[in-house]
Amino acid sequence: MNIDLTATLIALLTYFGIAALMAISLNLEYGVAGIPNFGQAFFVSIGAYTAAITYTRLLPLLAGQSFINPCGATLAQALQLRSDIMRTMPAVALGNFVITLLIAAVVGGIIGYLTSYVILRLKQEWYLALVLLVGGETVRIFVRGYEPVICASNGISGIAGPFAWIGNTQAASILFALLVLLLAAATFWYSQKLVRSPFGRLLKAVRENEQVALGLGKNVARVRAQVMFIGSAIAAIAGVLFALNLGFVSTNDYVVNMTLDVWVMIVLGGLGSSRGALLGALIITVLDRLTAITAIQFNRSGIELEFNYVRYILFGMILLLVLRFRPQGLLPETPFTTPAHDHLVQESANA
Amino acid sequence: MTVTLLIDSLLRSLQVGSLYALMAIGLTLTMNVVRLPNFAHAEYITIGAYTALVVSLGVSSNPVIVLGAAFIVTALVALASHLTVFRPLEKQRTSTYTMLLASFAVGLILRYILFLLADTFELFDKRIQIPLEIWYRSNVMILTNIFFWVVPSSIGLVIALSLLLNYTPLGREMRALANNFDLARAIGIRVNRVVNLTWLLVGGLAGVAGALLGIYTSVNPLTGWFAILPVFAAAILGGLSSFPGTILGAYLVALSENTIMQILNSYLGLDFSFKTAIPFVIIILVLLFRPRGFTELLPGSRGLQR
Repeated sequence: MNIDLTATLIALLTYFGIAALMAISLNLEYGVAGIPNFGQAFFVSIGAYTAAITYTRLLPLLAGQSFINPCGATLAQALQLRSDIMRTMPAVALGNFVITLLIAAVVGGIIGYLTSYVILRLKQEWYLALVLLVGGETVRIFVRGYEPVICASNGISGIAGPFAWIGNTQAASILFALLVLLLAAATFWYSQKLVRSPFGRLLKAVRENEQVALGLGKNVARVRAQVMFIGSAIAAIAGVLFALNLGFVSTNDYVVNMTLDVWVMIVLGGLGSSRGALLGALIITVLDRLTAITAIQFNRSGIELEFNYVRYILFGMILLLVLRFRPQGLLPETPFTTPAHDHLVQESANA
Repeated sequence: MTVTLLIDSLLRSLQVGSLYALMAIGLTLTMNVVRLPNFAHAEYITIGAYTALVVSLGVSSNPVIVLGAAFIVTALVALASHLTVFRPLEKQRTSTYTMLLASFAVGLILRYILFLLADTFELFDKRIQIPLEIWYRSNVMILTNIFFWVVPSSIGLVIALSLLLNYTPLGREMRALANNFDLARAIGIRVNRVVNLTWLLVGGLAGVAGALLGIYTSVNPLTGWFAILPVFAAAILGGLSSFPGTILGAYLVALSENTIMQILNSYLGLDFSFKTAIPFVIIILVLLFRPRGFTELLPGSRGLQR
């Protein structure tokens, strides 16, 4: 049994783009600014829940239809309506997609900004990590038990990509993959710019020594709030794309294991380095797909071993080996100096 | 709410609280002596539960043998994880976050190895084979031999550990390490030996706790993972440094998960699916508003770092 190579490649590229967004986001927060966000899956889930809400409420509205409750007895009817609109009305589908991205980014950003209050209060190093992890899980349990968001534990299905109206499934998925890669590339470019800007240097100063930054008169609390806004907005955008790619929103996807995946990416790539985050995302996505394909092959050839578990063992080993033998990662953070700094170095060398 | 429901939930609080106490004091010990918020503690619990399960299925259903095997195997796993992962990383002088991340990685590896093994040998959601006997029955409650295994053994082990810590040379050395690592080394305490023994003890206790949890409920590879956050909540309520505080915290967490949840369900209609969120809310509130737990409130619990 052979595998459809084109489809695999498209899926791989889409996953890579989404993973890259998550990794760039966490790299800005932890790698550059030193905020240990162990709730990354939660910030990603904000985007997914936003998509679930806009695709069930805003989409019919934009199409001039009335809202049908997506849960319970009218589930099938609502699903049919969604799929009809997305297949027949390109403008509505695209418009809804763009609005979803915008809302997700803003909501994610605001929640991230508010999270910085927690950072302010917690002095002990790892308390923050624990509170972010546990806070994310609390919201997840709430969404899972409270019907109006995503029909509780049933989830929302039938959330197709913005190109479902093309008719050709493969063409639609290629376009979606390109769109995801384009967004990832733009975010990468933006994060490179940000890290090299005065704001980026300030972030690194806060990471290296908070007291010194405070002593220089920098508003450390506001800087952290700003980077949490940016990071969480990116994570929420990744969440929208993740949900659209899967076509399904369920609380089961946004668990601690997702957060750990992103951590493996940025540690492997090199903390503080955006190029590292991209490389880490690429390696982890490829390994993820490879283990998934191997698992399918195993199942087909009747081998009893549940290969999906090997994925987590592999990622855990990668994390431990990198932390132990190459803590700076594969593409370490490079010191970036300003012309003024270079000039000073030159002068002191001459003197 | 009926009396039966109330008494039932109180009994559950007592059992679960005793188990949480046993798990949380190990965690507190790790955090003070080796300075590591160890998330792999969850998997030590699971490994203890699985060891007990395998022994009870294949060797003997004598509770003493089952619990003893769980202690030994898990102690060795904990020591191995220290020697292969945590100690080399400590020598690199890595940050707390790196250590935290490493403990997540160790936990992930152990958990999915257990998944693989459980899948291969079909050991999902199995009960540890200790014959169930009803020792006391009335119209409001039923007490089984399991209750009389879980509660006294947990409380007994917690007391034994407190005695060890307070009245033996090893306990004194552990407290010295918790208080000031460099000073402890300087006055000639064999730091490595004490740390290794701490790991054996912490692992063993987690293993026994896991076995008892498995006797009380059933065993699957996520047993420890589901217990670890309530256990963290208990340790945090205790200010992460005091034994009496941690024990009180454990019973409080269990009480809010069972009895208070039952009350909220009966009177406000809160669904039981929100139960798992209760310890999380405790963690968040305590860390944000009372980060030292109630160590200051308890007389005579100045903590391990005195």
